[in-house]
Amino acid sequence: MKTLKRLTALLLVVVMVFSLAACGSKESGGNDSAQTSGPDDSQNVKIGVLVSDVTSAEALAFRAYYEEYIQEQYNVTFMYSDELADAAAEASAIDNFIANNCKAIISFASADRPAQIEQCEQNGVYYAVATGTLTEEQYEQYKGYEHYVGAIGPDLYTEYMAGYNMAKYYLDQGYTKFGMFGGATPYYTEMHIYRAAGMLVAMCEAGNGTYMGANDMGSMIGAIYGAGCQLEPAVIGDVELVGYVAGYDFDDAWFGKLAAVANDPSVEVLLAVGSGQTAFAGFKQANQKLGDIDCYTADSVALMESGTLDYLAGKFSASIGPVFIAVLSAVQGHPIRTEEGNAFAISQGYWVATSAEQAKEYFEVDSSKTEPAYTRAMLDTLYGASYSDLEAFVQKYSFEEIKELAK
Amino acid sequence: MNKTKTVEIKHMSKRFGPTVALNDVSFEAYRGEILGLIGENGSGKSTSTSIFAGMQAADEGEMFFLGEAWAPKSMTDALKQGVGMIVQESGTVAGITVAENIFLGETKEFMRGPFVDRKRMFAEAQKALDQIGAGHIRAEMVTAALDFQDRKLSEIAKVMAQNPTVLVVDETTTALSQMGRDIIYGIMNRMKEEDKTVIFISHDLDEIMEKCDRLTVLRDGQIIRTFTKEEFDADQIRTSMIGRELSGSFYRNDFDSVAGEEVVLEADDLCLGNQLDHLSLKLHAGEILGIGGLSHCGMHTLGKVLFAAEMPEAGTFTVHGKTIRNEAEAMRESMGYVAKDRDVESLCVDASIKDNISVAGLDKFAVKNFLILPSKEKKYVDAQVEALRIKCRDADQYVSALSGGNKQKVAFSKWTGRDSEILILDCPTRGVDIGVKQAMYQLMDQMRKEGKSILLISEEMAELIGMSDRLLVMKDGKVQKELLRSPALSEADVITYMI
Amino acid sequence: MGNDTLIRKENRKAALFRLAPVMGLVFLFAVFLILAIIKDINIPYSFKNIINQSVVVVVAATGAVFIYTLGSFDISLGASLCVSALIGAMAYNVTGSVLVMLLVCVGVAVGISLVSSVLASVFNLPVFVTTIAMLSLLSALVLVLIGANGTGDVIQVPAAAVRGINNVWFKLIVMVLYLAFCIFLFDFMKLGRKEKFQGGNPVCAKLTGLNGKKLAIAAFAIAGIGVGLGAFLTITYAPTLSRNTASSVGMDIIISIVFGGMPVSGGARSKIYSAAIGAVSMTLLNQIMLTLSLDSGVGQMVKAMIFILVVYISMSNHKGNILPR
Repeated sequence: MKTLKRLTALLLVVVMVFSLAACGSKESGGNDSAQTSGPDDSQNVKIGVLVSDVTSAEALAFRAYYEEYIQEQYNVTFMYSDELADAAAEASAIDNFIANNCKAIISFASADRPAQIEQCEQNGVYYAVATGTLTEEQYEQYKGYEHYVGAIGPDLYTEYMAGYNMAKYYLDQGYTKFGMFGGATPYYTEMHIYRAAGMLVAMCEAGNGTYMGANDMGSMIGAIYGAGCQLEPAVIGDVELVGYVAGYDFDDAWFGKLAAVANDPSVEVLLAVGSGQTAFAGFKQANQKLGDIDCYTADSVALMESGTLDYLAGKFSASIGPVFIAVLSAVQGHPIRTEEGNAFAISQGYWVATSAEQAKEYFEVDSSKTEPAYTRAMLDTLYGASYSDLEAFVQKYSFEEIKELAK
Repeated sequence: MNKTKTVEIKHMSKRFGPTVALNDVSFEAYRGEILGLIGENGSGKSTSTSIFAGMQAADEGEMFFLGEAWAPKSMTDALKQGVGMIVQESGTVAGITVAENIFLGETKEFMRGPFVDRKRMFAEAQKALDQIGAGHIRAEMVTAALDFQDRKLSEIAKVMAQNPTVLVVDETTTALSQMGRDIIYGIMNRMKEEDKTVIFISHDLDEIMEKCDRLTVLRDGQIIRTFTKEEFDADQIRTSMIGRELSGSFYRNDFDSVAGEEVVLEADDLCLGNQLDHLSLKLHAGEILGIGGLSHCGMHTLGKVLFAAEMPEAGTFTVHGKTIRNEAEAMRESMGYVAKDRDVESLCVDASIKDNISVAGLDKFAVKNFLILPSKEKKYVDAQVEALRIKCRDADQYVSALSGGNKQKVAFSKWTGRDSEILILDCPTRGVDIGVKQAMYQLMDQMRKEGKSILLISEEMAELIGMSDRLLVMKDGKVQKELLRSPALSEADVITYMI
Repeated sequence: MGNDTLIRKENRKAALFRLAPVMGLVFLFAVFLILAIIKDINIPYSFKNIINQSVVVVVAATGAVFIYTLGSFDISLGASLCVSALIGAMAYNVTGSVLVMLLVCVGVAVGISLVSSVLASVFNLPVFVTTIAMLSLLSALVLVLIGANGTGDVIQVPAAAVRGINNVWFKLIVMVLYLAFCIFLFDFMKLGRKEKFQGGNPVCAKLTGLNGKKLAIAAFAIAGIGVGLGAFLTITYAPTLSRNTASSVGMDIIISIVFGGMPVSGGARSKIYSAAIGAVSMTLLNQIMLTLSLDSGVGQMVKAMIFILVVYISMSNHKGNILPR
C-alpha cells in the first residue's frame, strides 16, 4: 500500500516537474501597433486586484465600482485576492493571478510594494497602485520598469494636508482641546503617520507651540518616527492634545481607552486619522465635534445628518477609475508613460464635506452604479492618452471639478 | 423443561470483516436457571450474548425475550427492558463518580429544576452498592480511584439497580478476588431463586460446572453441544470446547525444582503506601516464584515496583546486583513485565501485532541499534507469531481485532521475543481459554527449564500451586507465608494465609 | 478458501479507506486540471505556484507530524516560524550570509521547540499546555523584534540576497531532502516506532521501557527543524517580514495534517506522508476555489465540507473494525 502511495506521490512530482520545465517559454507581450481609437472590447482581459482589507466600507465601495460598474461596461474580469496579511500572502496572490492568466494587477495592498513590482515585472504582468503612491526612492527605482504602469492616489503630502486641513478647520473655529485616534500609526503606516503629523502641525501653528520639539512637517514626521510612532497627549502652546489612542485591537481595553478620551469633559473635538466613525462615534458627547478621514457611505451620511460627524474627508469610489483605464490601455498596447518614458505617479485628493447636504450629494454620485463620478465615457478619453492629459484629468479631483469634466 | 423461555436466539450469524464470529447459532434460556456458555476465546460466547444485550446487531437471525420479538436499540435500552450484561473489560467511565456511572444516562431521573439532586443520586447509588454487598465502595468516589475489582463491582451494582430479568455475566469472575466472586455468585443464586435467568460465561470449568444448571459449548462461532447437569463431565466438556483431546499435562507435573542458587532479583524492605510494607524477596535463576493473595494485598503493585514502573518510598531492589531506576534499565537487565490490565498496560490495541511485538525488541533486530529494515523486523515478528501460534490474518492485523487469548499471546511475545531472562507476569492467564492457558503454562515451564526466572502474580490458587517452585502469600503489603512446591500443597493451605 | 477471498476483499476495503487522502489529492488534481483546461489557466505556472504556496506548510507540517503522532499538539508553530524568520532575517542583515540566516532560522525554531518540550518535562505538564504559553510569549516577541529593529513595521532582507534561491527547484530540493529525512526517521529508525507506540498508548509505552519525555523532546526538536526550514523558505519567497508573517501557517499546519489522513489522536496509524498530502491538497483546493471565482466565504464553506468528508472517509475505516473479543 505504501508503494502505491509513493508511486502516486512520485507521479504527481513528475507531472509537476515536467510542467515546470515548460515554464521556460514565456508568452509574447502586448501588441504595440494597435490603434488608440478606444478600448478593445473584443477580448476579455483578466485583471487581478490585491486587497489587504476586504470588509471596510471603503474597500467594499471600491470593489463595487469595479465589479458592478467597470466590469459591466468593459470586457474585463476582476479577480480579487483574499485579505492579504503579509508580503508572502501578496506574493502568493500575485502568483495565483498569473496562473489564472491575469494580464494586469491593480494593488491596494502595501506590505511589500517593491516585491509586488519585481514579481510582476519578472512575469510580464502589468502592475499599478491604486489609492496610494510609492515613496520617492521606490519610484526612482521602478519608474523605468516596462510593466510598472504607475500609481494614482493621495501622495504623502496630500495625506499630510488632509490631516492639517481637518485640524485647521476646527482650530479656525477657536477649538483648542483635542482628542485623537491615531489608527495604524503605531504599525508604522505612513498614510496615517502623515495625517497625524498634519493635525499636530496645525495645532502647533494655532497654539504657538511645539509637539515633541517639532512644529513643521519635516521635523514632525522625524519626531514621530523618533518616538517609535508612539504618540502621547501633550500641551501644544495654547492648544492641548488631551487624549490619544491608536491601533486596531478591537478589544475591551481598546474601546475603554477610546471611551475615556471621549468622556473627558475638557475634550472639544475628536479627530481621527481614519476609522473615526468606528472608534469614536459610539462614545462622542453631544457637545463634541468629530472629524474623520474615510470614505462616503450610507452610514457616514447618516452620521453627518444626525450631527455625530461634522467633517469628512473621504475618498470617492470612482477615484480608482483612471488607474484602471491606464492599466487596460497598457495591456492593450497603449501604455501611458511620462515624457521620459517612465511610469506615472499622480496625486489625487479627497472630497471634503462639512455639512450633511454636501455629504449626501457626494454619496449619491459615489454610490451610483449607472452614473458614477467617473463614467465609461469619461474614462475612455484617457485610453491611450498622453501623460499630461491623464495628469490633468486626475488632478481635477474635487467634486465640482469632476462635475465639470463630465460635461 | 417446561419453564418459560426468557431468552431465545434463532439462527444468529455475525461477521467481523472476514472473521465469522457466529454461524447459525441457536440457543435458549429459561426462568429459574443459570445457563453456562463455555468455549475458547473467539468461539462466539460474548458476541452472541452481547447482541442479545443490545451492544451490537446481528447480521442474520431472530431473537425473542419472554416470547416477544427482541431488538434492543442499545445496552441501556436492553437494560431498561430487563436484560443486563456485565462485560469482561471495564465498562465504566473513569473521570466521573461511582454514582454517576451507576446512573449514567439517567441523571434526568434526579433533576430538581435545572440541577441534578446529587445527594439523592449518591444515596440511591449507595443503596445499589449496598444491595449487592459492595457497601465498601462509596458512591461519591471518583471511579478512577477504584481498583479493577471495585470498578467491576460498581458496574454490577449499575446493572442490578435496574432489577433485570436476564443477567449476562461475561467472564467477570476471573478478574475478581474471592470476595468479588462471592458477590457475583450471591447475585446469580438470588436471581435463580427469584425465577429469573442468568447466562454465565466463564473459562473456569470447575466454576461453571458448579454454578450452572445447563452448559452450552461453542466453538468457532457454532454451538457444539448443550450439556444438562447430569451430563456434566469435565473431560467431555473440554473435548467439545477444543475439538480434540487435551493432550499432556495442564500444569507442570514435576516437583523437583531446578532453580539455582543464583539470585537474579532481590528486593529488600520495600515500602510503598499501604501496598508494600517492608517486603523482601529473592528470585533465583530458573525459578517460578508465585505471589498470591487477595486482590488488594499489594501483589499487583509489587509487580510494577520490581519492573521499576513505580518507585518504592523505601527499600531497595536489585537485578543481577544492579539497582534499577526505570523500565528501560529493567529491560537492559533482560526483564519483562506482563501487566494485569492487558488492554491498557500490556498492549497498544490500536496498533498492529507487529508494532506491539517489535517495539519491545527494537534493540534486538535494529541494524547498528538504530536502523530498522522491514525484512529484519518481519522476520523477528513472524518468528514470535509462529512460536506462540498467534491466530491472526497476518502480523499487520490490529490487536484490537484479536481474541483475549491471542492478545495475551502478543503481550507474552513482546518479552519472549527479546529472550527476557526475568519475567514478571501479573495474572497472565486472566480471560484466556484453556487451550491458550495450557500453552502458556508449557511456555513458562520451558523457560524455567532454560534457567529463566518468572515472578508469577496470580489470583488463581490452582495456577499458583500448579506452577510455582515457591509461593509467597501476601497480605496487607507483607509476605505472610512462604510455601514450597509440594504435591501436598492445597488451595486451603494458601487461603489460610491470605485472609 | 472462501475466507481467503473475504480477507482479500477486506484488505482491499481497508486499503481504499487508508488511501482516501491520496485519492482525495488525485481527485483534486484531476478537477484542477479539467478546470485549468476549461478556464484557460497557465498550467506550468500553476504547478510552480502550487509548490511555492505549499512548500512552507509541507516542510513545517511534516515535522509537526512527529508531535501529532504522540497524540500531542503544538499551537505555537506559526508564531515560532514568524520569530525564527525575523531573527534569521536580522542575522542576515548583520552578517550578510544566507547560510547564517538558514542556520539561525533552524537554530531558533529548534530552540523554541526545546523550550516548550523541556518546560513541559520539568513541570510535568502536557506539552500542548506549554505551547499555549509559548504562543503568547512568541507573539509578544514578534512585536518586540519588529520594534527593536527600529526601521518601521517590517524587517527586510534585500530581495537580491534571496533571489538566487527563490526558485522552485531549490525549494523542491529542500522539501524532498527534509521529507526524506523525516521518512527515514519515522519509518526506518527506532525513534519513529517509539513515537508511534508512545502516541498509541503512553501507559503501555512506559511499561515497554519508552521514555515519554525524551520522545516528546525529540519530536519537538524534529518539528523545530521543519519550522526553521519553513521560516527560511518564507524569507526566500517574501523577504519583507512583518508582525503578520506566517499568521496563517499555524492553522494551515493543523488542517494539512488532518486533511492528509493523520488521526488526531496520533499513534500507530500516524503517517508521515499525511502532512505533504494534506498541504498540497489544500493548496489545490484553494486554486480550484480561486479559478471558480468563488466568494471567499463560499470558498471557505466548500473547503470545510470537503475537509470533513475526507476526514470522515479516512477515519471511518477503523471505527467499525473493532471486535468485542
